[in-house]
Amino acid sequence: MAEQPAWTGGYELPVYPFVPPPELADGRRRRYGIVIVGGGLSGLTLACDLANRGVESVLLDEDDTIGVRGASSRGICYAQKTLEVFAHLGTYPRIRAKGITWSEGKTLAGGDVVYSFNLQSASTSEQPPFINLQQFYIEWFLVDRILALGRCDLRWKNRVIRVTQTSECVMVGVETPAGGYTLESEWLIDATGVNSPIRQGFGLEARTSRIVDRWCITDVRFKEHFPTERWTWVEAPFNENRGVWQHLMGDDVWRLDYQMAPDCDPEYVSRREVAEERLRAHLGDIEFDLVWVGPYSYRDHLLDDFRLGRVFFIGDAAHVVSPFGARGGNSGIQDAYNLGWKLALVTKRHAPLPLLDTYNAERQPAARQNLEVTSRTSRFLAPQSPAERTLRAAAIGLAREYPFARALVNTGRMSVGNPYPDSPAVSGAGWTLQNVAITLPDGARSTLVALAQAVGTAFIGILYAPTSGHDIAGFAQLEATGLPFRFFVCGPGGIGDPEGKLKAVLEAAPDTFALVRPDLYLAALVPNASPAQAEACLRKALCL
Amino acid sequence: MTTDPNIPDPDGFYAALVAAHEGLTEAQSAELNARLVFLLANQVGEQAVLLDCVAAARKPFAPAG
Repeated sequence: MAEQPAWTGGYELPVYPFVPPPELADGRRRRYGIVIVGGGLSGLTLACDLANRGVESVLLDEDDTIGVRGASSRGICYAQKTLEVFAHLGTYPRIRAKGITWSEGKTLAGGDVVYSFNLQSASTSEQPPFINLQQFYIEWFLVDRILALGRCDLRWKNRVIRVTQTSECVMVGVETPAGGYTLESEWLIDATGVNSPIRQGFGLEARTSRIVDRWCITDVRFKEHFPTERWTWVEAPFNENRGVWQHLMGDDVWRLDYQMAPDCDPEYVSRREVAEERLRAHLGDIEFDLVWVGPYSYRDHLLDDFRLGRVFFIGDAAHVVSPFGARGGNSGIQDAYNLGWKLALVTKRHAPLPLLDTYNAERQPAARQNLEVTSRTSRFLAPQSPAERTLRAAAIGLAREYPFARALVNTGRMSVGNPYPDSPAVSGAGWTLQNVAITLPDGARSTLVALAQAVGTAFIGILYAPTSGHDIAGFAQLEATGLPFRFFVCGPGGIGDPEGKLKAVLEAAPDTFALVRPDLYLAALVPNASPAQAEACLRKALCL
Repeated sequence: MTTDPNIPDPDGFYAALVAAHEGLTEAQSAELNARLVFLLANQVGEQAVLLDCVAAARKPFAPAG
């Protein structure tokens, strides 16, 4: 959580026009299907996902630009599942072009590299393990995409001041530069972030805990080129043996993040001359331009229930974790991608209301997992006692010599598509499928994400490598049930698995039926399945 | 967690441990012990056993957390 950004670093951000909403013209109250409050990562992702699925929404944002009141860049690291989501939404090519693709990292202590990793080798997705890019670019590209898709009424300078609900609808009081109005919505999505006034208005306890750790971000441009790797010092000699993070973002800007003493003065450590001195201690006497300096502390919170009646909480409004491992922004984007298809199916009457309950059943445990993972990193990086410092020194010392101990050195466990627990809709599966290469029945090269986009908001059934005698026609007839379902054989005449990657991500043997959800999570995996079993899985996954 | 005797030469192991701490400061001894814990933990390699051992080690003191 940045406090006041010291300056804004020469980025030019778009400003979007305030357009007086129709309510102010005729004074008539309107009821909408879906209203999203907050145009950050999660709110914009949801608006874009709904638009991409042909579902209309209204998005209310109190500002008229992207980013956090100015050019401060918060999230910078977008992980594979997120990049796959953006591939589905259509913004991935711009992110790839503008961002920094990386997969290698080094962890250092003192003057030495303790260990290094390369995550590309284990990846089978069309998207790389990570791209670094300033958060406001991600938001910018989403806004452009939403405007191109249509179907989303983006209302800038519309500040929500009051939310109430009945069993029928949610009433939202809105303030604008041209006056106030009230609208109604069947569903309201709170994407207003960490200090959500909506959450507070309902009096929901977010179980906040503050962490004493303090850091200071220094975004900087150099003339020199460094390797595009993530470097993390657990103990940096040039920073009084505290942590330092170093990685590259778009526009040749480096994010240098320095761990500060817990009792430091945020105003002092973010002064330009102090930041410059810190930088020279780190990199020597080189030429640089400061882009942005921001001290921050962090806290975490987790709502018990991500739904309250007709209101859903996504992103930071629902959960905040410490920043290590990029599990904040990435998980907010995944919240949106989890909820989007469910809202689409329910509002189109293709699935019953209980499907919406699975949002909390899946994303609350995911947030709980992210909180546990990031809290452990936070504790490793900021030992709270002499005993903890001793344990850490032992782990780092052993890691230099023995591979087993490298796993103990925790500089962040990077964001993943969290697996979902068994629920009324998922059993014995619940993991995300990487966006692997496939071929279409006509032989054209494609991907799982492209297939999901092509079928619309429908489940994809794949019968993997059926042996002779399998009732393929019986599976195909499930398409005639009217349920949102498309069927494909993987094998001759169907989709192809030229590199064996689909087999690998499905962990599928011949004659296995895989039921893939619109968010590319696996709903069910049934060996030697019959069409009746496949239909039962589909109905369960739709909460029918 | 094995609590029946399983160390082939207990006296020899104890003597080696004492010898390893000779001439160290308190802080160095603490780090040696921590290194040893991690090395031994990797030999055990079973999460449930490791957690049982942590709990047993904590037993004489006030409960954690």
